[in-house]
Amino acid sequence: MAFFAPLVIGRQGLVAHERALRVAGHNIANVNTPGYSRQRAEITAGHTDPSGYGTGSVVRGVSQSVDALLELRRLASTSTLSGATSGRDLLDRLQGLVPVGDTGLADALQRFFASANALATSPQDIAVRTELLSRGEQLAAQLRTTAGGVAILQREIDTRIDAAARDANGVLQTIALLNREIVAAGRGGLAGNDQRDARREALGQLAAALEVRVVEQEDGSVNVFAASGRALVLGPDAATLATEPDTSVVGLDGSALSKVGLRGGGGVVALSGDVGGAIGALLALRDETLPEVATQLDQLALTLRDAVNGIQTDPAGRDLDGLVGAAFFTGAGAADLTVSLADPRGIAAAQGGDPSDNTNALALAGLASASLAPLGGATFDEFFGALQSRVGEHARDADETATIEEMAAEALAAQRDAISGVSLEEEFVDLIRFQRGFQASAQLISVSNRLLDDLLGLVG
Amino acid sequence: MYTRVTEGVLIREFQRQVARLQRERVDLQDIVSSQKKLRAPSDDPVGAARATRLRGEARQLQALREGAGLGRAVLGAQDGALDQVSAILVRAREIATQLAGGLSSTANRQSAAEEVAELERGLLALANTPIAGRYLFGGLATGTAPFAAFDDPGFDPSTAYTGPAQPFSIRVATDETVRLTTPGNQVFGAAVVALDDLRQTLAAGSDPFASIDALRAASDTIVQERASVGGRLARLNDRDREIGSALDASRRLLADIEDADLTESIVELVQLDNVLNATLAAGRTLLETTILDYVRP
Repeated sequence: MAFFAPLVIGRQGLVAHERALRVAGHNIANVNTPGYSRQRAEITAGHTDPSGYGTGSVVRGVSQSVDALLELRRLASTSTLSGATSGRDLLDRLQGLVPVGDTGLADALQRFFASANALATSPQDIAVRTELLSRGEQLAAQLRTTAGGVAILQREIDTRIDAAARDANGVLQTIALLNREIVAAGRGGLAGNDQRDARREALGQLAAALEVRVVEQEDGSVNVFAASGRALVLGPDAATLATEPDTSVVGLDGSALSKVGLRGGGGVVALSGDVGGAIGALLALRDETLPEVATQLDQLALTLRDAVNGIQTDPAGRDLDGLVGAAFFTGAGAADLTVSLADPRGIAAAQGGDPSDNTNALALAGLASASLAPLGGATFDEFFGALQSRVGEHARDADETATIEEMAAEALAAQRDAISGVSLEEEFVDLIRFQRGFQASAQLISVSNRLLDDLLGLVG
Repeated sequence: MYTRVTEGVLIREFQRQVARLQRERVDLQDIVSSQKKLRAPSDDPVGAARATRLRGEARQLQALREGAGLGRAVLGAQDGALDQVSAILVRAREIATQLAGGLSSTANRQSAAEEVAELERGLLALANTPIAGRYLFGGLATGTAPFAAFDDPGFDPSTAYTGPAQPFSIRVATDETVRLTTPGNQVFGAAVVALDDLRQTLAAGSDPFASIDALRAASDTIVQERASVGGRLARLNDRDREIGSALDASRRLLADIEDADLTESIVELVQLDNVLNATLAAGRTLLETTILDYVRP
């Protein structure tokens, strides 16, 4: 038997190096596969025989280079980054609705009051009166467009939340399936490396949608929980993430908004607390930022309506025909504000019986610079400027957070690559190393074969 | 730095750097082409609010300036008209003085009554002077002239004025108005009555001595009104200059917030282009170096 040992050792060497080459090949083939973790053939020395001689090499298994803690940190970073980037893009669109410069709502407000001032200098001039009416219509239209834009944005965000929840639900199923495969592979003595990579990728996709906590079990499966503690995946079983219209939450367009939660008990049980990730950021935008902007637009519109109508319908005020004026603006908020006055002669520019009087027009023009109690003592311009400023702050914060998180995520990705990434240089050096090992093992078999021939020649 | 640097890290890092530089380049390009550094509220949230306020202020100042322009034209025209009215009253007083006393004949007085009638006609025409269709001494109203014409049937000097009883004012600052008109009866009422009295006295061949004081009092009213018009005109001129300075200041502040420093932006753009070229060149060297060129397994 001992005489054949070199042959056996040579064969084991061939097998071990062939497997190591296969692993290196697998690494090279997956050099650009997202989430792939480099693998290593674990070659160890065989048992020593009773006479003290070694028995060659064996491949004990294929291991992965993974830092589990780093992977958990990446999941958290993915949630924050995804939240910040989805917020940034939408806030960019929101600030498009409150533009700076000679355009938009601020411009319409200023033009309206400039027309009121022109009316104060020429109260009987029909052309000036007509211009004031048309400036009022433009202002009301601008308020409607801005409020409508906010409502459309909110509805779009709601649709995005639906889509994100649907996608995340698919990912939950994938994670549960991979859990099953990994546990099955473990029972067969295999590590299930590639399934683990796929599961890490899936967890990353899930973390982009919502913040998750991941706990690995002894059998290799993972349990996944939402930030609120509700279980999303328990081993081989996945909960169903779903949305349904929540009739208690009405959107700015008057229709119900979706509630995100887990399906169960004949309905959807909402995920409570901070959801995190893209869905969390979208919910915050939909339920906090946009309604806040809409409320302020309404506050602006209603103050404008009441202040202008107050002067216009003042019992002492008179229009060109000597009558008390009718309301100028009508509507319940920014979304439906319109000019109700159709006849320019109906603008009550005067007080008393004299149509050339401009007392009321002066009061109207004075509104432009008046501190208004319903606006917290601000003027119209100051109030709208503060709104622009707040929207700008939100957009800038989201942008800065996204930039910082992108850098943090990139640093974590580089750290992961340092541990788990495939280096072609390493793999090529390994290829040569294993090729040489394979060639040497083949040589050993050849030498052993010649020795055997020599031995058999003695008796032949 | 990292202990292991793989091709993946090199490529991603390179892509990230190039993407960042391209983003900055597009941003600068936009600043250069728009010449604005404030393009969205997020560029400078506090500045955006200030810019909106400054724009509002500038537009209000512009509107006030237009009002002040009208005011200057109105007061200037009033001054001219009042000057002519003063001349009329001086002439009437001369006539009254010449024809007072027992030396003047009835015929002389009656013929002078014709001239006084012309003076009265002229005074009423001046009191009805319009500017762009609005009556200077009728509260800047349009439509019917504030004073009845001398030749109107049933002309009564004491009720000749039918214009507005209220003065017309314009806003020249947030909390300041300037009166542009005085109701015509307050300016010309005494003059019309005094002239009409003189005319009737002369037409009757009576001694016009009593009219001299009345005409002097009417002249004093005109002089006072002229002084008041001059004072208000000076105030409007001052205010116009103040508005001009305030507008300039507003525009300068707005430019500080909104406008880009073009030279600085272009220099930055050129620098950025250089950095981008250097990064691309370095990236090429880095990415083209591969073990495949050295190893033949």
